[in-house]
Amino acid sequence: MASSELVAQTLVNGLLLGGIYAVAALGLSLVFGIMDIVNLAHGHMLMVGGYVAIILFAATGITPLVGMLLAMVLLFVLGVVLQKVLLQHVVDEGLEQPIIVLFGLALVLQNVGRVLLGGDARSSDIGVPGSGLDLGMVYLSFPRTVTFVIAVLLIVGTWAYLQYTKTGQAIRATAQNRTAARYMGIDTERIYVITLGIGTALAGAAGSLLSMLYPIDPFVGWSYLLKAFAVVVLGGVGSILGTLVGGLVIGVSENLGALYLGGGYRNIVSFSIFLAVLLIKPEGLFGGSQ
Amino acid sequence: MSRKTGDWRRRQYLKTTGAVSAAGITALAGCSDDGGSSEGITIAGTIPTSGSFSSLGQDLERGYELGVQRMNEELDQDVELVLQDDESDAQQLRENLQQITSNNDVDMIWGSFSSLLVTAGSAYAEQRDIPFLGIAFAYEEPHRNDDYEWTYSPFPKSRDMARSTVGLLELIPEDERPSRVGIWEPNSGWGNEQARYWEDRLTEEGYDIVLREQFELGSQDFSTLISQSQSAEVEVLLSNPTPPGGITAVNQMQDQNWVPDILKFVRGADPSAWWSALGEAGAYVTMCPGWVPGLTGNGNENLWQTYEEEYGLDEGQLIPVNVGGAYNLTQVALQTFQAADSMDAGDLQSSLREEEFNTVIGDFGFEDNGLPAEGELTAPTGQWWEGGQRLAYPESDHEYSVDFQYPSPPWDER
Repeated sequence: MASSELVAQTLVNGLLLGGIYAVAALGLSLVFGIMDIVNLAHGHMLMVGGYVAIILFAATGITPLVGMLLAMVLLFVLGVVLQKVLLQHVVDEGLEQPIIVLFGLALVLQNVGRVLLGGDARSSDIGVPGSGLDLGMVYLSFPRTVTFVIAVLLIVGTWAYLQYTKTGQAIRATAQNRTAARYMGIDTERIYVITLGIGTALAGAAGSLLSMLYPIDPFVGWSYLLKAFAVVVLGGVGSILGTLVGGLVIGVSENLGALYLGGGYRNIVSFSIFLAVLLIKPEGLFGGSQ
Repeated sequence: MSRKTGDWRRRQYLKTTGAVSAAGITALAGCSDDGGSSEGITIAGTIPTSGSFSSLGQDLERGYELGVQRMNEELDQDVELVLQDDESDAQQLRENLQQITSNNDVDMIWGSFSSLLVTAGSAYAEQRDIPFLGIAFAYEEPHRNDDYEWTYSPFPKSRDMARSTVGLLELIPEDERPSRVGIWEPNSGWGNEQARYWEDRLTEEGYDIVLREQFELGSQDFSTLISQSQSAEVEVLLSNPTPPGGITAVNQMQDQNWVPDILKFVRGADPSAWWSALGEAGAYVTMCPGWVPGLTGNGNENLWQTYEEEYGLDEGQLIPVNVGGAYNLTQVALQTFQAADSMDAGDLQSSLREEEFNTVIGDFGFEDNGLPAEGELTAPTGQWWEGGQRLAYPESDHEYSVDFQYPSPPWDER
């Protein structure tokens, strides 16, 4: 029987992990919900963001928290270029064509990463002084706590942007009905460019944050994509709040599952919950809401 | 026959051709599907230069290259090694071997890295009755259960890893020796086998196994295991994660401010990327990679000399452990061809079964199922110290060895 301290620590670890899952899924959810595109290169964009932070940290010692900002800018530009050069031509051509384009992009990013940076896993360090917080029952890891807080801030910031800014409202309007949005004078093509830019910038931010906790190599993209996809579908496609809740549910269920059933059941537990939610509520926990 | 180094290196990746065709055809650089020579010895092999084990690929390649260089000096025939990238993927590995063997008269196959990939290669070799050598392959059960006839593994096995662990712990004075052992068991066949050996052997020796928990192979999050280990007051932590899982686990131990007194990561702490990823946080960790700097005799001196000539070594830099393991494999191959004095598969098999081999990892023979004879291998334990993997057990006064550093200090004291 696990002690109460161990259960509490496991729960906290799960919550902190869930925050990371949520931020990893945020950009994917946004693009999926608004543009109806499954960004298969999302995990690889996250990998690029991780490498930006790692290289900056290794070369200059600058904390990945700053590297994150640079990664966001670079990935935003990548997203804009991607939309204007490639996706714009296929975005209304059904589900398959964007998927094929993005699958190809994922492979390109993976192989460019391998050629330029080698296959070795690398990681960064939070790079700012601070130690974990011992609360008696639980210990809060410093980098995980910082990552969690920033993840929540990014999620809240994205939600506020969509909720309260003019562009955000235009994005939501486009997501609800593209034709109606056009009639209302919204430049939907520009909205798609901005949306993909934000989505890829968020992937870059997530990668930078993850690089402080997990090693990054050119091949991590697929595993993060899978987990992010589960979070998005569980929380509800396009729902910002759902992404946060979905991430937390998966993080906590994985950790509690590992504690009570064994680590071999970690993914079985979390994906069983995922399937159960889909059976009961196919649109996800917060499907349809922003 | 020896070859000029530049030409020889380039041709590792090529096929000499034309079987038979004329000698000039060997200039067909870049072609990988032309025919192989029936005059020389052709060896097929795969290495993971991409994918999750890619950090090990170069080490294996260098060990193989140095070994083939030696074979070309010692044998009367040209030795051609046809290497391809298996992308750390068993299916790709099978396709590579299929391609190489269908275009060449292959006399022997050399394995890749890890039980997953080596068993894929050995299964292929067994189907085609081709002698197969594989390292970084501690898993014993396939040798016993799959009726191996052509697979030979010059490498410490799970039982040897357990024996080496006991030996390492016995370096600590009895009154200071930790007794609470935790085992993190990857949910794989080898993970289970290794955990079972550790549990049985250490229990026999009087240690308390206070934790044995499974985790998913390839897992990125070890926070629950770390909390469980801390809660169980684990002093000695043993596991065999695949790279880069070991690096991830140590990072997370640091985040959660917990470290065991002794940490042994078989395979997980093998890659030379360990130090570049973890730096001083990676110190004190031990591993059992088959070969470690600090071993002497049986060609170790030649290995150091040729490695330095071929690839160079900065001051204080040591040879990565898997270079030595791979070189040891090539020594077995060399001695097999010498003893058989033939390229007939049956003769090579007989040599592998009957000969006593002397390699950089020690002296040993093989059982009929390809396991190294029990108890004959040294199974050295290395320890990450001052940026390199150094021999910690058995004790040695070699300049590249280290007095076993114990216990690991808390993170804030490093």
